[in-house]
Amino acid sequence: MAAATPFLGAGPSGRERVPLSGVTTSYLRSSSSKSIGRAAKRIALGSIALALLTAVCYRLHLNVGTTSFVYLLVIVTQSLAADFISSAVVALVAVACLDYFFTDPLFTFNVTDPLDVVALVSFVVTALVITRFVSKARQEALTSQLQHRRLNGLYKLAQQLLAMEPEVSIGKKFLEPFRTVFDARAVCLYDAGTGELHLVGESSNSLEERTRDAYIGGRDADDRGAGISVRCLRAAGRTTGAIGFEGLANPESEAGALTALAATLFERTRAFRRASHAAATAQTEAYRSAILDALAHEFKNPLATILAAAGGLREAGPLRPDQEEMAEMVESEAHHLGNLTSRLLRVARLDREEVKPRMEPIDIMSLVSRTIQAYSRHATDRQVSLQQGCESAEVVADPELLRLAVSQLVDNACKYSHPDSAVILSIERQPHSVAVRVWNRGRSIPPHEKNRIFERFHRGDDARQSVPGSGLGLYVARKIAIAHGGSLDLEAEKPLEEGATFRLTLPTPESEPEHVAKAV
Amino acid sequence: MLPKQSKVLVVDDEPPLRKALRASLAAAGFEVQEARTGDEAVAVSKQNPFDLVLLDINMPGLTGFEACRRIRDLTPRTGIVMVTVRDAEDDKVRALECGADDYITKPFRLRELVARLRAVLRRTQMEQNPKAVLQAGALEIDLDRRMLRRAGKQVHLSPKEFDLLAYLMQNLDAPVTHVKLLRAVWGPEYGGELEYLRSYVKMLRKKIETDPARPEYILTEPWVGYRFCDPSDPESLPPLSDN
Repeated sequence: MAAATPFLGAGPSGRERVPLSGVTTSYLRSSSSKSIGRAAKRIALGSIALALLTAVCYRLHLNVGTTSFVYLLVIVTQSLAADFISSAVVALVAVACLDYFFTDPLFTFNVTDPLDVVALVSFVVTALVITRFVSKARQEALTSQLQHRRLNGLYKLAQQLLAMEPEVSIGKKFLEPFRTVFDARAVCLYDAGTGELHLVGESSNSLEERTRDAYIGGRDADDRGAGISVRCLRAAGRTTGAIGFEGLANPESEAGALTALAATLFERTRAFRRASHAAATAQTEAYRSAILDALAHEFKNPLATILAAAGGLREAGPLRPDQEEMAEMVESEAHHLGNLTSRLLRVARLDREEVKPRMEPIDIMSLVSRTIQAYSRHATDRQVSLQQGCESAEVVADPELLRLAVSQLVDNACKYSHPDSAVILSIERQPHSVAVRVWNRGRSIPPHEKNRIFERFHRGDDARQSVPGSGLGLYVARKIAIAHGGSLDLEAEKPLEEGATFRLTLPTPESEPEHVAKAV
Repeated sequence: MLPKQSKVLVVDDEPPLRKALRASLAAAGFEVQEARTGDEAVAVSKQNPFDLVLLDINMPGLTGFEACRRIRDLTPRTGIVMVTVRDAEDDKVRALECGADDYITKPFRLRELVARLRAVLRRTQMEQNPKAVLQAGALEIDLDRRMLRRAGKQVHLSPKEFDLLAYLMQNLDAPVTHVKLLRAVWGPEYGGELEYLRSYVKMLRKKIETDPARPEYILTEPWVGYRFCDPSDPESLPPLSDN
């Protein structure tokens, strides 16, 4: 009987702690025995009041009509304070009293006068209707009060959370308001971005594990027995973490709202974290550019002075052959250093800027040969050469950029090959493209690095210790190839051949545009 | 080597570089004077015209470009070589548009600089006595009779091909921008039609070069235009070494 009544748990004065929302079977189950006792007490009180009134009315010889009204006072009072069922029981007791003490024949439950029957039925209906209305009004008032309290709680929580400084990390500070405002025993958050678990309060039912498990399984979880509710945090269709509550007074209705709030705040923090990261990256890039520009200026002027002075020494001559050789060495190395500086700067610039090739028809063989010549002069401990029998081809490309890309590949091949080994370039015509291959004997590239060598700032495990470099060379070379509509790949290794082959492919122009010649 | 010492004005804001250039260029046979800024260069040129000015682009105060423009107005017959840095390629075109005769990229070898200065000097002297017949290597062009001979044999050129080659040969050793070539040969309304220029240069190379894939006469100046060189002349500009 009592279990079917919605607000049985509410105390008559409303001072008792009530759940923040109404229909909660788990709550009812836990407190139903107490409620039955309370209802019985109210019925008893109502019945005693009725008995007293009955005695008074009987003495005064009041008729059925007057007594009914007096009874109604008790019933209305009863329904104002108590629930519908106990009020209804009291109403039925009142009918019984009316029937027994005030209708003929007296002291029996029989009714002979049809008018009395009408009076009794009217009384029952009136009493029940009043009881029903009053209880309903009371229930609604209570519901609204509860809703109000719940909203207040959420509002207070939101206010506390929003007042927090947007921090880069999500920690206990973020969870504490959830626990205090809603009186939870423990609250736990799993941040998938960092893989961290945060817990506030004392969990007696391994809330942390359950929260992480819910994230991993991608499913919300409820355990009424343990009083635990875990919800996944979702943003833009992705699960970004999970939040678990233990000991919420009313988990089924509260967990949803709290999770929505947590997800919003969590997303805000994550956005802040991303924005901070982007700002830091932008600042790093700006510093990098500034340093490079300063280097460009600071390096080139002293180099120009060295070159001018060394050249002047030779002009002023005559020098002895050994002096001449040394002056030439100074000049040649300073010039080489100047070219290296220029190349490094250009690579750095291409790394941060969009590559905009200025296309010109060029003979690929002549470009490759010039690059080889330049390397043969400086990389004297490597034999850089062009494979015999290569056919040349015309490509439409930016000569400066293409030379830079090929230089990077040769540079790379020299760096990662054994001393005195060969670095061989080849040119191969294909139906709609030309492939330039750069092969070096040396250590093969481990499979796990094959996809990563073209990444920006990636440097091989060994390279970091043994070979100087910026980690930009291959990245920029590929960027150049792509800007030309071509590609740069690492070729699959041939069996029994140690080393690496990079293939730079460029599209070849269609046949000579005839309209050009005719147009002029 | 030169009939009289040519006067060079070295304009750079770096004292050590000025000092090194002064000594080295003097050793190479030039009479050298220095200026620290663009303004100073303009002021010195006003008093005393120079045969050559070596002008750095990046200077505090008046930029190299503006100084170039003013010196060009003051003394039109002075040869101007501008000093650029490698990773600012657009500076080259801009330098030529401001009236510079040539440019050189910092850091440069002294040999390369001297060759450039001499080439500019030769050209400015040539402009004073224009010749009707020009020679370069195996090529001989007769501007009046509109004829080209290669190793004594006449080569047939279309009118546009002839004009293009004549213009390039008249600017021996000097970089000529795409726009300047198009305007000189096709007309003042041209300027962006690089395709025309490329196909004509390609045809010309087929007719005059031994190996059109590795040209010796008409060299490409990346991102700028073309430069006509005389492969038989040791004084002619050596190919730029880079990488």
